[in-house]
Amino acid sequence: MTATANVTMPAGATPPASPRDTRAKKRRRGRFGDRVLPYLLLLPALAAILVLLAWPLVQVLAISFRKLDIGQLVSGKTVWIGFDNYTNTLSDPEFWTVTFRTLVFTAAIVAATILGGLLLAVLMRHLGPVVRIIVQVTLVLAWATPVIATTTVFQWIFDEQYGILNKTLDRLGFHGFIGFSWFSSGASTLSVIGLLIVWQAVPFVTFSLYAGIIGVSREQYEAAGIDGASAWQTFRAVTWPAIKPITTMVTFLSVLWDFNAFAQIWAIREGGPDGGSTTLAVVLYLKGIAGNHFGAAAAIATLMLIVLALITGRYIQLLTRTREGDLS
Amino acid sequence: MKRWLKLAAGAAAVTLATAGCAGSSGTDTAASSSGAPAPITGDVTVWLMTGSAPATLTDALNKEFEAAHPGVKVKYEIQQWDGIQQKLTTALAGGTPPDVIEIGNTQTAAFASNEGVLTDLTADKDSFNGAQWLKGLADSGTYEGKVYGVPFYAANREVIYRKDMFEQAGITKTPTSNDEWIDAITKLKTKFGSDPDFQALYMPGQNWYSLLSFIWDNGGDIAQPDGKKFKATLDSAGAKAGLEFYKKLVDTSGTKAPKDADEAKPQQATVYGGGKVAMMIGLPWELPTAAKTDPSLTAKTGAFAIPSKTAGQTAPVFLGGSNLAIPANSKNVAAAKEYIKLLSSPKYQSQLAAAGVVPGTSTDLTGLDKDPLGSVMAKASTNGKAVPASPQWGDVESGQNPVKDMLTAYLTGKKTLDQATADANAALNKLIGG
Repeated sequence: MTATANVTMPAGATPPASPRDTRAKKRRRGRFGDRVLPYLLLLPALAAILVLLAWPLVQVLAISFRKLDIGQLVSGKTVWIGFDNYTNTLSDPEFWTVTFRTLVFTAAIVAATILGGLLLAVLMRHLGPVVRIIVQVTLVLAWATPVIATTTVFQWIFDEQYGILNKTLDRLGFHGFIGFSWFSSGASTLSVIGLLIVWQAVPFVTFSLYAGIIGVSREQYEAAGIDGASAWQTFRAVTWPAIKPITTMVTFLSVLWDFNAFAQIWAIREGGPDGGSTTLAVVLYLKGIAGNHFGAAAAIATLMLIVLALITGRYIQLLTRTREGDLS
Repeated sequence: MKRWLKLAAGAAAVTLATAGCAGSSGTDTAASSSGAPAPITGDVTVWLMTGSAPATLTDALNKEFEAAHPGVKVKYEIQQWDGIQQKLTTALAGGTPPDVIEIGNTQTAAFASNEGVLTDLTADKDSFNGAQWLKGLADSGTYEGKVYGVPFYAANREVIYRKDMFEQAGITKTPTSNDEWIDAITKLKTKFGSDPDFQALYMPGQNWYSLLSFIWDNGGDIAQPDGKKFKATLDSAGAKAGLEFYKKLVDTSGTKAPKDADEAKPQQATVYGGGKVAMMIGLPWELPTAAKTDPSLTAKTGAFAIPSKTAGQTAPVFLGGSNLAIPANSKNVAAAKEYIKLLSSPKYQSQLAAAGVVPGTSTDLTGLDKDPLGSVMAKASTNGKAVPASPQWGDVESGQNPVKDMLTAYLTGKKTLDQATADANAALNKLIGG
C-alpha cells in the first residue's frame, strides 16, 4: 500500500540525489492523500449533518434570544431581547413544576420499559420455538402499529362510559369502576400515557436485549448449570455481563425518546386535565405552535437540550472515553 | 434527540423562509385612491375556508368580478380549518401572500394586533356596507379603533329539540325562560326516563360556548378590557351564576356526555342522531349531520333560542364566524378591496343567508326564514357577542383552555365553585392579561 514498499536501491552506489527527492515528495504526497481521503469521504455526511442538524441548532439558539412573534415573523424585523425569554421561562414556577414532572415521568417509563424488555428477553430464551415466534410476532405488531392508532385504541380502552377496562373491572366485581374517569387527575392521566408509551417501546428493547442474549454461547450456560448455579446466579454471572453494554445503550435511547414524547401526551388529553399531564414537550408546542411565540419556544427547546445533556452526560462521557463502543 | 432536532429544523425552516422574504411591504397601497378608480390589473388570490360559502355563490362572484375587471384573474383557493393558523402565518411571512384571506373571528385580533400584518381598512368601511355590519363580528375585526377585518359571516348556537318528544311529554310551548327549560327537562325525564339510554339534554362538560351565554345572561363576562390589556373576570358573581346554571342543566338532565370533553368529542350531532336525545345546544347545520344516521329526524326537529333567566328574553349568544382581511404585504391591495366590496354587497350577502349563515355585512336576514332552525338563529344573532378581542386569545383556544378546565373541575366536584373560578381566572390572566 505504501509508496516505499517496492523501491529498490542500487547496491554499492550512492544513490543520485534527484530520485530520492522525488521519492520523498511522492511519499509525502501519498501520505497526504491517505490522510485527506477519509475526510473527503466523510464530507457528504458532514455537510448533511451541518445543514440539517447544526445549522437549525444554531438558528434555534439565535431565535431564543429574539422576540419572534407573528408580527416579527411577517414584517421580518429582528428584535434582540437578550436573555428575556430565558428569565421569563425560568422565573415561572409552573416551568419548574413541569420540568420536575417531566423528569419523574421519564424516569418511571424508562425504568418500566427496560425492566419489561429485560424480562421478556430473558423469557424468550427459555421459550420453545413455536411460542417464541408467536411472542415475537406479537411484539412486532405492537411495535409496528402507528402511534396515533395505538393511542386511539388506548383512549377507547380507558373511556369512562364505553371503555372495555371499566366494563371488565365491573364484571370482576369491582363495581366502583362504573363510569370511573381515568383522566380526572394529572397523575392518573400520566399513568395511562406512561403505559401507552411503555407498550410501544418495549418491543424494541426486547429485541435488542434478546440479540445480546443469543450471542452468549450455550456452553457458558451449561457450565453454569454444572456448577449448580441458580437461575438468578446464572443471570448475574452469564447473561448480565453479555447484555450490559446493550442495556446501557437502550436506556440512553429510551431517555432521549421518552423525554421528548409528545404525540401520545397531546393526543390523550392535550396535557390536561387542568395542565396536569403537561410535560416540557407540550409546553414547547403550546408556546411555539399554538401561541406563535417562537422566541420563547426556542428558549424552552434550548433548556430541554441542556437538561437532556445533563441527564445523558454520563453516557456520553463513557462513549467518548471507551474504545470501540465498549460500555461495560 | 432526533425528534427534538426535527422540531428545531422546523423552527429554523420558518426562520429561513422569513429571513429570505422579508421587507417587501407597504409600498403598493397608494395606487388606488386618486379620483376616478384606477383600472385594476393583475391576479387576485383569494383564500376562503371550506364550508364558508357555497360553490354556487363563489362561482358567480368570481365570474362577475372577472367580467367587471377585464384582465384580472381570480385565483380562488379553498382552505381547510385544520392547521390554518400555521398556514396563514407561513403564507403571510412569505413574499407572495394571498390577497384576500378569511380569518376566524376569535383569531383576528392575534393578526390585527401586530402592526404590518393586515391592511388597515378603516377608510374603506363605508364601501363595504359598513352601516349594516353585524356588531359582534365587527368588534372582533377592530383593534384599537382601527378596522382590520370585514365581517364575513357568523353563526350562533340554539337549542335543537325533538318536537315529537316534547309533544309526548306534554310540553305545549318551547321554553322561554331558564325555569321553563328546567321544567321541560324534568317532564321529558318523567316521560322517557325508563329508557336508560335516554338523555333529556345532551350536555358535555366542556361546551364552553354555551357557558358564555349563561355568563353573559347573568351579567358577567370572561374578561374586561383594562387599558390595552384584558383582565379576566371569571371570578365575578355573574360568571359564577352562569357556571351554577350550567351545572344545574347537567345535573337535572342527567346527561351521559363526558364531563371532560367538548361537543366535538364525540360529535354531539352523531349522538343526537341515535334518537335517544331530546335536546342539544348546537348549530343549525348539525341537524343534517344527525339526519345522516336517521333521515326522519329532519321533520321531527325544531329549535328555540337559548332561554334567559329573565322570562321572555333570550340569552346573549357567542357569535362564531369569520372576517375577511387583506394581508399588509399583498401585491394587489386595490383588487382585493374591490373583491371584498363585491362580496359584501347585498346580492351576495343574501345568498350567504340563504346558505344558512348570518351574513356579516347585511341586516337582511330573510334568506334564513325558510329554514326553521336558521330563522331562530337569525333572531338570536342580534344579541350576539364576541370573545375578548385580545391578541392572545388564540393562545386560549388553541392551547389549554382554562374555561374548559374550570368546567370539568367544577362539574366533577374536584373543585368548589370558588376554587374553580379563582384558578381559571388566574390562568386566563396569565394568558391574556400580560
